[in-house]
Amino acid sequence: MTTQLTIPRLEMSMTEGVLAEWLVADGVQVKEGDPIYSIETGKSIQEIQAPASGRLTQKAQAGETYDVGTEIGEIV
Amino acid sequence: MQQLVRTDLGIEPAILVEIYRQMSRIRAVDKAIQAGLSGGKFLFSYWPMTGQESIPATISQLISSRDYMVTTYRGIHDQVAKGVSLAGLFSEALGRMDGVNKGKGGSPHISDPSSGSMLTTAIVGAGAPIANGLALAAKMRSEDRITIVNFGDGATSIGAVHEAMNLAGVWKLPVIFLCQNNLIGEYTPIPDYTASKDFASRAAGYGFKGVKLDANDVPAFYQGMKQVVAEVRRGEGPIFVEAVTMRLGPHAGVGDSKEVSAEVLKAAKEAWPVPRIRAQLLESGICTEQQLTQIDEAAREEVEQAMAKAQTSKPTPREETLIDVYADPSVPPRRGHYPRREAETTPVPTGGKPILMLDAIRDAQDLALTQDKGVFLLGEDIGDPPGGVFATSKGLRTKHGPERVRITPIAETAIIGAGIGAALGGMRPVAEIMFNDFAGVCMDQIFNHAAKQRYMSGSATHVPMTIRMMVGGGTGGFGAQHSQSLEAWLLHTPGLKVTFPSTPFDAKGLLLSCIFDEDPCVQLESIKMLRGARGEAPAGDYRIPLGVAKVRREGTDITAVTYGWQVQECLAAAEELQKEGISLEVIDLRTLVPLDYHRVLESVKKTRRALVVHAATEFCGFGGELASTISEELFSTLKAPVGRFGADYAPIAYCRDIEIDQIPHAKSIAARVREVVAFK
Repeated sequence: MTTQLTIPRLEMSMTEGVLAEWLVADGVQVKEGDPIYSIETGKSIQEIQAPASGRLTQKAQAGETYDVGTEIGEIV
Repeated sequence: MQQLVRTDLGIEPAILVEIYRQMSRIRAVDKAIQAGLSGGKFLFSYWPMTGQESIPATISQLISSRDYMVTTYRGIHDQVAKGVSLAGLFSEALGRMDGVNKGKGGSPHISDPSSGSMLTTAIVGAGAPIANGLALAAKMRSEDRITIVNFGDGATSIGAVHEAMNLAGVWKLPVIFLCQNNLIGEYTPIPDYTASKDFASRAAGYGFKGVKLDANDVPAFYQGMKQVVAEVRRGEGPIFVEAVTMRLGPHAGVGDSKEVSAEVLKAAKEAWPVPRIRAQLLESGICTEQQLTQIDEAAREEVEQAMAKAQTSKPTPREETLIDVYADPSVPPRRGHYPRREAETTPVPTGGKPILMLDAIRDAQDLALTQDKGVFLLGEDIGDPPGGVFATSKGLRTKHGPERVRITPIAETAIIGAGIGAALGGMRPVAEIMFNDFAGVCMDQIFNHAAKQRYMSGSATHVPMTIRMMVGGGTGGFGAQHSQSLEAWLLHTPGLKVTFPSTPFDAKGLLLSCIFDEDPCVQLESIKMLRGARGEAPAGDYRIPLGVAKVRREGTDITAVTYGWQVQECLAAAEELQKEGISLEVIDLRTLVPLDYHRVLESVKKTRRALVVHAATEFCGFGGELASTISEELFSTLKAPVGRFGADYAPIAYCRDIEIDQIPHAKSIAARVREVVAFK
């Protein structure tokens, strides 16, 4: 099963976020709950945990701003 | 080898296991939602309750689905433990048809009467007055249900909670005010928003018991709550519980709290009952690791299946927009849809003794109280004496008793909330608000709760309550805060029905229709007419259907579209104009929603001119809506632009000369009619 990774809405007012850093390399196996990337919104940086276990594919560059809902990767 | 089971935990082992099972379910739900949100699987607003699981998990062992619960938007844990189906809950959060409320309420507005979860509000503190009403319904029917209203510590600052506590105390209601004190009001921690040392001690100020319990110490919390539930169930009155816990998450969104320091968060996670009780169950020999894993796995599977089911449910379609606003989907006004509703069949009475409008209203309430045990009255000073400040309930408390004609504190939010809750519990309350102007102090209950509850619950619940409001104006001397006609506020809020009678006959027939209607109704009653209008209103029950206007005087040159006490003014203007050869038709709307555009348009088609007249401020008044629709529908027929006539754009003056003239009256109406008729 493929789990899409999209930029989440972490706060009610959030419309976009900066994908600050990928915390795991492209193509590696991750376990549900592992921190996989960090996101910057307004003043805070938050680590996002893997919603599923599997092989992670990155589809977006770190350091860029993306709208909420933008696909940035997947876990297969 | 036999396991050694510790029995000195201060709680029966089997109950502790059940509490853990509920906490495990709540945790699984929280994790699945947070994973879905942060993974981008779905998007919805989420206010995490991480850290507060032990509160509803513990209470679930002390109550049943018969007991009522009211909670807040940060209440998914409450819903799970109360027994709301997880598939229904997730579907609701995703805005799907299979949601417990057809996707119309969403995660912050769950209502599931089958599990006793009656109402979930996203207005901080607003649940407390409504919980009183649910408790009142149970008490009036001698049922042994209790009502628990959950709110956060942040809600202890708002007036609704204080009004509700005062009323619950004086009425000795079987309600538990359950303050889940997570130490942060949204983004503001406790020392920054209150100087109170604790909240439990506030209950003493309202004459009932308050207890402070550590919700992180589950056995002690259970024993404390057991006593609280038993006392409230025995009818010993309300209890305020301050259940101290910690919110581990942010106000909204996912992840850890951003409002507390890393050290505080670390300590809170160590005190967190979910992992702690699990460890304790293992350590004490009550459960094996295998048994605990089974509990956690079962919860995870239940959540996974529910989530999968929710994601395949159909998104609630656009066609549902006007469904569940009212019981009858033809009620919402819609451009181009002007249903003709049947007029009353009761013949206009002849030969009866004319009575005052206030007596007709009193009579309607008396009849309703006699006919239906679910009907009761509540309001300020409605007991004997004085029988209501305008005597509209004179003698009724004496006749029907203090339980059914309930005098209240001067607290409109508590009054309307109690009405809403009682209506949710199946009663038919009739609340009196002494002046229309006081809508301002209870508007949240009216427009966010009474009006929206049917819709937000996808008709899982509804609010068959009536609110009577007296309207000043035209009498002189009441001043700017007791003389306003604020019907436009009410009409602008989908979900309410509004009547505004102009005769004693209509006042009685409309009020009876309101009381037995399935939706919240507001009847506006002109103070000037309560003693100023005399007319026939036959004894016994008769109803005037809501949404049927009536032509009061036939005419051929122009139609005055009006309602309430302005009907008499328009009729007087018609007399005067008749002498000049202008024939004025006067149509009395009687009900403002549902609105009888059919008969209004029929009248204007005939006269080809219209003037809308009301006592309310003209600017942004109801007249604008009426004039606009008449113009759009009959543009090619009209001989003149549709006129509006309302009060000047100023507060209503205390001094008589201004007041009498700033609101339309027979002379000024006649002048406006002449202007419209003179248009070339």
